[in-house]
Amino acid sequence: MKIAEFTKGFIKENPIFVIMLGLCPTLAVSTKTVYGLGMGLATTVVLLGSNTIISLIKNFIPDKIRIPSYIVVIATFVTIVDYMLHAYVPPLHKALGIFIPLIVVNCIILGRAEAFASKNNVGDSILDALGIGLGFTLSLTILALIRELLGSGTITLKMLDYGWVWKIKGFKPLSIMILPPGAFITIGILMGIFNHFKMKAEGKK
Amino acid sequence: MELSRIFIIIISASLINNFVLSRFLGLCPFIGVSKKMDSAIGMGMAVTFVLTLASIIIYLVNKYVLLALHVEFLRTVTFILVIAALVQLVEMFIQKFSPILYEALGIYLPLITTNCAVLGATLINVSEKYNLLESTAHGFGAGVGFTIALILMSSIREKLENSKIPESFKGAPTAFLAAGIISLIFLCFKGIIAE
Amino acid sequence: MYNISVSPHIHSKESISRIMWDVVIALIPALLASIYFFGMRAFWMEVVTVIAAVLSEIFIKLLLKRKITISDGSAVVTGLLVAYNMPVGAPFYVPVVGAVFAIVIVKELFGGLGNNIFNPALAGRVFVMFAWLPEMTTWHAPLKSGWWQHGFNFFSAKLDAVTTATPLAVAKLQGLSNLVAQFSDKADMYWNLFIGNCGGCIGETSALALLIGALYLLKRKVIIPVIPVTYIATVFVVTYLAGADPVFHILAGGLMLGAFFMATDYVTTPITIKGMIIFGIGAGLMTVLLRLKGGLPEGVSFSILLMNTLSPLIDRYTAKRKIYGYKK
Repeated sequence: MKIAEFTKGFIKENPIFVIMLGLCPTLAVSTKTVYGLGMGLATTVVLLGSNTIISLIKNFIPDKIRIPSYIVVIATFVTIVDYMLHAYVPPLHKALGIFIPLIVVNCIILGRAEAFASKNNVGDSILDALGIGLGFTLSLTILALIRELLGSGTITLKMLDYGWVWKIKGFKPLSIMILPPGAFITIGILMGIFNHFKMKAEGKK
Repeated sequence: MELSRIFIIIISASLINNFVLSRFLGLCPFIGVSKKMDSAIGMGMAVTFVLTLASIIIYLVNKYVLLALHVEFLRTVTFILVIAALVQLVEMFIQKFSPILYEALGIYLPLITTNCAVLGATLINVSEKYNLLESTAHGFGAGVGFTIALILMSSIREKLENSKIPESFKGAPTAFLAAGIISLIFLCFKGIIAE
Repeated sequence: MYNISVSPHIHSKESISRIMWDVVIALIPALLASIYFFGMRAFWMEVVTVIAAVLSEIFIKLLLKRKITISDGSAVVTGLLVAYNMPVGAPFYVPVVGAVFAIVIVKELFGGLGNNIFNPALAGRVFVMFAWLPEMTTWHAPLKSGWWQHGFNFFSAKLDAVTTATPLAVAKLQGLSNLVAQFSDKADMYWNLFIGNCGGCIGETSALALLIGALYLLKRKVIIPVIPVTYIATVFVVTYLAGADPVFHILAGGLMLGAFFMATDYVTTPITIKGMIIFGIGAGLMTVLLRLKGGLPEGVSFSILLMNTLSPLIDRYTAKRKIYGYKK
């Protein structure tokens, strides 16, 4: 088990800022911090499940039907997560809406299945899933935090009476930030800044 | 009466609630394929075709299989498999009848399967309880909107090729900023429909 | 070897400067009108916004390690135009953020002067409009007297003036006859709209002041009349065909400001005459559509920005030869 498999998901192969997969849910749900966190964790759970199973059964799947079979595995985990959220965390389920079933087409998951889980052992696949999934969750939560802070003047880390909501006093929020244009502009700027530091770090080597 | 409702659904899906700029569906190909106008148009047309066809087929599958047999929990699995199969068919069709387009679209053709716009549109058709005609119109409108967004983006990005954009912002970051401003402009369409 | 420059109007540094400062001069009549009708607060708003624009240009250029060219006046123009699109009661942070957004994001991050796609001042205006919608849709009536009496107040406006609806809003929501009732008769209404004695954004109300500035620019050959004339003519014709009052629509709202000072920005509009005509007609159609059928009473900003978005496309199909470079 290599630790690098875990850390690469945060900077070098950051799913949002570098590989640019999973953009749709990222921009859509990042209106409240807790939504970003929720979506990230839901995606990580699916990723963990699919990477594990696919890594276990990779030798039993005929090459011709491997993509459809990956899809069935992923879709099954998505359905499980969907129904569990619906049952145990209804407000989150409602807020994330169609982006929960859309996790199945989140290219991150199919991408990892194809590029990694189908070629590596279970241990590494689990680390890969955790690393990429948590990298995704972290980036998504930061984006949601920025948008919520600027757009509503609050930070919401509350779900079902657990957690808290923090509000800035006397700040007139920029409502545009929680609308689509705010999402695009925020991620554009974040990506540019991220690239800048990444290029600087690579230039130094 | 029916016709105006259909028209409203199409206008709504393509301009007022543009799939890309308002609903955030179809972003990966939007950023990936919008560098050149030709591939943008080709991709737009392919996606519109798949969207319209998928809306029809999935409506039928949903009604006569899932609901009839009371297996709604299989919705996600079924829908995505149907879409994957449909894209495969479309791919073979294009390869046979227009090899040039097939070459141009390359890897992006099979990627239509994972285009959230297709699955997204069919899921919205279900949640909005559209009938067959409305579902088809909605899917078509979504495709039209997707194509419009792609064409606008690619014409802008082609012009920006010669701009002195800062190194760290070249490519995707600027594309997102442009998308943000276009999305801002499209907000003005929100008020138009109330009739 | 090709030397690629984006907007093929190849200008020297001196001529860009001359153009920009000419625009500033042309905007002075509107500045005076804004003070006359809305008081000193308008003046301070304009000052603060211009300073914000200039400072953000310095800041971003230092950050991007580019040459600082604030003496070319383009930041001043952007700052003034953003301010002119503000209601006099807006807290000062609104135009300031608008100016920063316009300069840093819409202009510099897209490549700087000559490379931007969207009109920075308009994009900035629309951005803050949706950021702070209530502040951007509260208008005050023009002052009855004493423009020197209303001073500086950064965060909120304590104005004696009464809040009012703009002429366009009244016409849209209550019908034109209700607006005419505010004046002695129709001709009186037209006159007041023409000189700027009505509610609205501080730089857009006085058609007279703006036309004086526009004539100056035309004489100095800084702008050519194709787009403004096509734009205004289209609005006139289409409103007439739609059964609305065309003279009213020419004089009300931000059409004059938009047509002569934003739609004439050579960087964000088509290069060929044919393209310019398309631009003008498109903007006109969109403006009337939004004014008559849209959710907001005004549509000029969105129409111009929409046509900015279409300009690369228009150029692609109307420019006959590859004009984006010349042989070295």
